[in-house]
Amino acid sequence: MGASAALDYDAELMLRVKDGDEASFGLLLDKYRAPVSHFLYRMVQDQAVSEELAQEVFLRVYKSRETYEPAAKFTTWLFRIATHLALNWLRDEKNERAQERLDQSTEDGPTREVPDRAPSVEQEMVAEVKVAEVRRAVAALPDKQRAAVLMQKYEEMEYSQIAKVLSCSESAVKSLLFRAYETLRVRLAHMA
Amino acid sequence: MNCPIKTQKNKEWLLEYSAGRLDNERAARVARHLAMCPECARFVEAQRGVWQALSQWEPEPVSADFDRRLYSRIESQPATWLDRLFRPLQPLWHAAIPVAAACLLIVASVVLHTPQAPQVTVEKIEAEQVERTLDDMQMLRELALTPKPEGSTSKSM
Ligand SMILES: [Zn+2]
Repeated sequence: MGASAALDYDAELMLRVKDGDEASFGLLLDKYRAPVSHFLYRMVQDQAVSEELAQEVFLRVYKSRETYEPAAKFTTWLFRIATHLALNWLRDEKNERAQERLDQSTEDGPTREVPDRAPSVEQEMVAEVKVAEVRRAVAALPDKQRAAVLMQKYEEMEYSQIAKVLSCSESAVKSLLFRAYETLRVRLAHMA
Repeated sequence: MNCPIKTQKNKEWLLEYSAGRLDNERAARVARHLAMCPECARFVEAQRGVWQALSQWEPEPVSADFDRRLYSRIESQPATWLDRLFRPLQPLWHAAIPVAAACLLIVASVVLHTPQAPQVTVEKIEAEQVERTLDDMQMLRELALTPKPEGSTSKSM
């Protein structure tokens, strides 16, 4: 997801969608279905909710096709929609029930099939405990810090792009990230 | 280089260095500094631990029926008047649009002959358009998408 020329290829695809080329929408969906869904999953940590939000993201992209103008990189626009929806959901769901659900899913964890050449049960359990710890640490971050970390770590976005997604300055993004990583270092550094 | 922690300058270099994302020239400068600054060295070591921990977190795969559900939702969206008039044959999942376009033509022909009754239909379509546009505008406002002069930073765009 690096820097690109004035008009990135995705924005060109989106302009084709605007011109009625539905196949281009399919190409964008193929490319960003997983990144958007995974970003939302890590934001809200609920599989069903994250997929629902991801559906909403692509639905909004499709619905906005006629008014789309490539004022920003396509992924900036896409993740701005995704982040906006996630932050709204988190704001609305910040109540006891959401916390209960998070705790429960963290404790239970997703059920997974053990592959043929699976690591030992102990290794698997240790890995799951570690991942649960990572999830809890990320979930404990303030929403915007979490969004910034996820975009930097998993989407490999630069400070400037994260700033545009979050509608803030680059220095504000750096500040968010430093505070977030300071918290995460305390909680996760021992896992290396 | 001066100590990023003590001077609070270029501190982000330490983050990028820990993630292996710093360019060669800067990475070499950071490496030289780390060799003589235990505080920064500890920072980098801890940050690498965070980075590795985060790497272990794999999300669940997206549901196999994600696209089917999405296209079903798209299909259930009311088509815009532009779709109905000019794009009836393009989208595969919009198989119903030609029918809608035909209906629109019929409605239009009725408008020409009996101006009173279909007035309601036309007004309804216009109202839907306005509502939808307001919806879009609301979203654009929320996303602060008002076009900004971003040409000067086109590289990062
Ligand atoms: Zn130092």
